[in-house]
Amino acid sequence: MADFKESPLKAVQIEALVVMKIIKHSSQTFPTVATGSLVGMDVNGTLQITNTFPFPTVDVPATDGHQDTAANLAAAAPRAKANIVYQNEMIRCLREVNVDANNVGWYTSTSMGNFVNANTIENQFFYQKEMNERTVALVHDVSRSVQGSLNVRAYRLSPSFMISYKENKFTTDSLQKSGLRYQDIFVELPLTVHNSHILTSLLHQLPTSPPKEELQFPPSLAALKQDPNAPRNPLAPNFESLDLSIDPFLEKSCDLLLESIENHHTELNNHQYYQRSLAREQTKISAWQSKRKSENVSRAAAKQPLLPEDEWQRLFKLPQEPSRLELLLNSRQVEQYARQVDGFTAGVSGKMFAVKSNLLPNEG
Amino acid sequence: MADTQSFLHLARPLGPASVGAQPSTAPLSVTIQPQALFSILDHAVRRPQDQDRVIGTLLGTRSEDGTEVEIRNCYAVPHTETTEQVEVDMDYQKSMLALHLRANPREVLVGWYATSGELNTFSALIQNFYGQQGDGTWPHPAVHLTVSTIPGEDIEARTYISAPIGVTAERAADSCLFIPVPYEIKYGEAEKSGLEIIAAAKDKEDRTTNIATDIESIETAIEQVLDMLERVSNYVSNVLDEEAEPSTALGQFLMNALSLAPKVEPADIERDFNNHIQDVLVVSYLANTIRTQIDLSNRLATAALTLGTGDALGGSTGGQEGGQKEGGRQDQRRGGKGRGQNRQQQQE
Repeated sequence: MADFKESPLKAVQIEALVVMKIIKHSSQTFPTVATGSLVGMDVNGTLQITNTFPFPTVDVPATDGHQDTAANLAAAAPRAKANIVYQNEMIRCLREVNVDANNVGWYTSTSMGNFVNANTIENQFFYQKEMNERTVALVHDVSRSVQGSLNVRAYRLSPSFMISYKENKFTTDSLQKSGLRYQDIFVELPLTVHNSHILTSLLHQLPTSPPKEELQFPPSLAALKQDPNAPRNPLAPNFESLDLSIDPFLEKSCDLLLESIENHHTELNNHQYYQRSLAREQTKISAWQSKRKSENVSRAAAKQPLLPEDEWQRLFKLPQEPSRLELLLNSRQVEQYARQVDGFTAGVSGKMFAVKSNLLPNEG
Repeated sequence: MADTQSFLHLARPLGPASVGAQPSTAPLSVTIQPQALFSILDHAVRRPQDQDRVIGTLLGTRSEDGTEVEIRNCYAVPHTETTEQVEVDMDYQKSMLALHLRANPREVLVGWYATSGELNTFSALIQNFYGQQGDGTWPHPAVHLTVSTIPGEDIEARTYISAPIGVTAERAADSCLFIPVPYEIKYGEAEKSGLEIIAAAKDKEDRTTNIATDIESIETAIEQVLDMLERVSNYVSNVLDEEAEPSTALGQFLMNALSLAPKVEPADIERDFNNHIQDVLVVSYLANTIRTQIDLSNRLATAALTLGTGDALGGSTGGQEGGQKEGGRQDQRRGGKGRGQNRQQQQE
């Protein structure tokens, strides 16, 4: 589904600093959406993201009249006028301290992969049309990251979607012509995390090395628990991913899926309504046309001047076809959920079989 | 670098303008969040070639009585340093502070950092600037964090607060007594997964790593657990063979750990296991069914019209298409209901 040939970017590489900053910002504002700007540069098709800063979330003047909730404001932040000024100011400042001063995209936090919506599209479109095509959207899934492994993904809008969105044409006809499917909205780029040399050496130092001299056995249990020499490996083992909590995830996924189906239903109803009214109008038009024709026939017989036959264009107005964009996005969202559930199933069934055979060793 | 030994705790001397009330003289403890440290190291890498150290401002939160400081964020401030004088870009510092406070209104100025372990006259001067009244941290003391970044040596972080020390009134501005204070590096639950990824890259030659999938992270976690079990069981069998020295404390500890294993009836396990695995599989199946249905619905919506030839036909094909879509939707509704039942089952 991904079309890499047309995109100048092949991969995304993010610094450890960026990972930490995004996590901090996202978890601070959770469950509100957190957004921020990314700076970095493009080296031979690999986009290196080296720094980031959050967008201010308070005192943002509403861009549109209908966007009034805080969540909407935060989600719309990357394209709010005040924030563009903020971003430019910040980048100017960062340039003075030798940070790569190119804006390369934005990040957003999400919960349970619930990020495929009009806001994300609009933000990324805003970036991708302005900044010479080399921008990405990083999506950090907060609720899935606490379950174990970090969940950050890099997305771009596909070129074909860009064209359609630019013309804002999402009618059935135009979709047939462009062959755009919902799978083609986003292009996902492979993502790697990169550490600087100095950070690597810090990481090697962090676990305090075991004491050199021979240690005595602790005299009692209490002493063992308070032993200052007890190894503390602060970073590596993260056993969160062995956690066996199933129901919350399933419940949340089901809720989200139901919501998507609900949306799909509404959109389909809109389309059906459109089609019914279109059909109604067309029967009216053809009735009018045949009436006018027969009238003209009788007028011709009576040698009277003929009435124009294309007047129906003025008399009748065909209904506007509703945009299919919402349907496309919704379908993409469902696909996202389905994949998420697949991944979860794969992990959790393994864990469950492990637990079962551990507790019932004989029936393995 | 985690210096675990305690520094000498001194009662904090009064601030520069000591006539005013200085309520707390309790010792200070500092917590550093990893992203601030990472940011400092990043700045150290990006320093100008001719400069040995670079400085920046620390932002964070302070407890109400001012005895606990959490450094959560920081930004670089350009400065130039020669043997005779030091110049800090005050305007930059102010505008950057304003920018940061807009995005993080809860964070306040807590101090400054330098990327060398050295303390000198200029340090004192800058320290007094950050601790001053008005723009500075007064009445709380400014925290000074030094991170030594000399190649080939350990990265060492130290935190200080300062006390005025005056030889004469003229020299008060560029002299102060740095008092070391203890610090801790702490990270939250949410950062764990990020740090795990970052730590995974430390032994790679190119210092990069891919984002692991869920399955992969389960695999590494299980491998680590197996490794630990291996070590413990080695030790235990060595003790049994009378090759290693036994320890009652360790034995007790292991016993305690083993007694944590739940005692459940096999039938209960069987039942719970079957219930849950069914839930998981059903949700997975339904999610994929819904995906297929929606895919189908999309395809039908765009494919049906290719059969249409003219305007007059358009209407009738449109109706058909609607019918087909309707069918698809009903199937989905059925799926939805099935899932609803499934959820009830879970709740039972």
